[in-house]
Amino acid sequence: MDRTERILDLVALLLDAREPISWAELREHFPADYGGSDDAAERKFERDKAELVELGFPLSYVQGDDERRDGYLVDRNVYYLPEADLTKEELAVLYAAGSAALASGAFPGRDDLAHALRKIGFFAGESLPTPRVRMELGTGQEGQEKEVSARLEQLWDACSAHKWVQLTYGSPRKDGVTERRVDPYGLALRRGVWTLVGYCHLRQGLRTFHVHRIRELKVNTARPRTPDFEVPAGFSLDAHVAYFPWQYRFHEPLEVTLQLTGPQASRAGSLFPGAALEPVGEGVVRARFPVTFLDGLARFVLSLGSDCRMEGPPEARERLEHMAANILAKHAPVEGQRVSA
Amino acid sequence: MSNVHERLRRLLFLVPYVSKHPGVTVEALAKALNISREDLLEELDLLTCVGRPPFNPDDYIDIYVDNDRVYVDLDQRLFAPPRLTAGEAAALAAAAELLRPATGDALQSALTKLEGIIPPAARERFRDMYRKIDASADAPPALGPLTRAILERLEVTFGYASPGRPAEPRRVRPYELLSHRGQWYLQGFCHTRQDARLFRLDRMEDLAVTTTAFLPPPDARADVPNPARGASEASVRVRFTPTAAPYVKERFGQDARPLADGGVEVRVAGDSERWLTQWVLSFGGEAEVLEPASARAAVARAVHASIGS
Repeated sequence: MDRTERILDLVALLLDAREPISWAELREHFPADYGGSDDAAERKFERDKAELVELGFPLSYVQGDDERRDGYLVDRNVYYLPEADLTKEELAVLYAAGSAALASGAFPGRDDLAHALRKIGFFAGESLPTPRVRMELGTGQEGQEKEVSARLEQLWDACSAHKWVQLTYGSPRKDGVTERRVDPYGLALRRGVWTLVGYCHLRQGLRTFHVHRIRELKVNTARPRTPDFEVPAGFSLDAHVAYFPWQYRFHEPLEVTLQLTGPQASRAGSLFPGAALEPVGEGVVRARFPVTFLDGLARFVLSLGSDCRMEGPPEARERLEHMAANILAKHAPVEGQRVSA
Repeated sequence: MSNVHERLRRLLFLVPYVSKHPGVTVEALAKALNISREDLLEELDLLTCVGRPPFNPDDYIDIYVDNDRVYVDLDQRLFAPPRLTAGEAAALAAAAELLRPATGDALQSALTKLEGIIPPAARERFRDMYRKIDASADAPPALGPLTRAILERLEVTFGYASPGRPAEPRRVRPYELLSHRGQWYLQGFCHTRQDARLFRLDRMEDLAVTTTAFLPPPDARADVPNPARGASEASVRVRFTPTAAPYVKERFGQDARPLADGGVEVRVAGDSERWLTQWVLSFGGEAEVLEPASARAAVARAVHASIGS
């Protein structure tokens, strides 16, 4: 019998059972499948049981007593999907986000997500909204979607089962590639790019990897149900993946002060989330926050124009002025070209 | 995940789905399961062999296709799908984070309800897996009202700041929201310009949803903004130093032309001066606009403005 068919037969049998079903009975019911030597039959059933558990099938073994015999039983109250009573608005949020992620080309746990969407839509009938939200995620350049998507799927499985991965990684900062074994702790999405965070055995420390830069990836398949590592208590993805260029951990933290005026003053909170903001006059705001990559901040401040000034400290101002002078030198008018201001 | 696992999940959903939607067409069912018609018919064949011992005629699932519609007479207790697994709930919750904070209270209450329908034994695993994805994109608050306006087909108004000019009032039929490289865009028909337009959400001010309804075209789909695409006479030539070259090559692929000194050169569309200057400045001193001279001057002007010189 086909394995899928056998497991579905088991589901039908167990869902219908009022009494526990013993191993001996199961062997009688499926003589062709669980026949043969005891060892082989038990191994086969153990594999089927593991698959049922993986499917979320609430199977348990009950020890019999005077009134009941030993055997396998399923808790029907736990098996069936109940109505979540999601409001129209809640359903729209989950459905729009889930569909957008699924259509994005690269989101970890795509299969899981697709099943989840079907299930939350089960009771919704025809009232499911048509999502008009689209996201392009996770790829360095066009045409990489399939590869990134496949990597994310492998990483999702490895993260959830706590299995190490072997990866071939190509960083733009260095020529060539490196081979590393990594304990994957999690995946973070920042500005459309997926980052893997994990313990790198090569560097003996926590490292981040852009998923689109992973050339090859293998998940440890040995003892699939036994975890290879534990994620340290208190680990947070957020603490390791930068949202903004000035948060890359290249240097020791330096507290920087900016002065924002005009339209930028009202946007200070969203431009520099987490910064301490202080009004210093009519329409003027001072923002103070730690910076670990000064060049990243200098570039951003330059792009904000005259409404954003670097106040201090002096080394930050000097860095910005040096960068500005460099850009100006590169963009000096070329002789013979007339430019209107 | 193994093929057997995927197939089982699909089949455990298929029977209840047909049970709930008797007479669903083969096409609609295949679409709901995201499989081909041929694969669906194969699955239906398999299901007719499924049942419970002792396998009397009434013990089999009775599912059949009649006149291209699917019916189930005996579902063998598969009348509802299984609950969400920890992995399914975690993937959905992580995806929902993509629209935070724009979705407000609805997201939080949806997630609470979601957790409520996971089997208690799976909740800890759900929380553990949910923590493994951090997809909290910086969804701008405008996303919430715009999603509503798109779903309810209502026109919106907002002020839109073009580069170097103050905000100008626009009235727009919103068709689709698009996120690309962390930037959110609205695609729609602009009454003010009488044309289809792509608007960056971070340049909108005073967004309001009106009560004016409209009918969207069926095929409205925003083009992904690609600065290297459509490079025409107005294109801008930018040269990058060897330091920045690997990053530029990574993004532009074949569109980045290698130079003798190890740097690269790209041509990008020059229709947005503000985008161009911001982009060039984001490379610090590692990028130089070669031509046209007006674009070089725009970069220099932006730097002068920034340092107040």
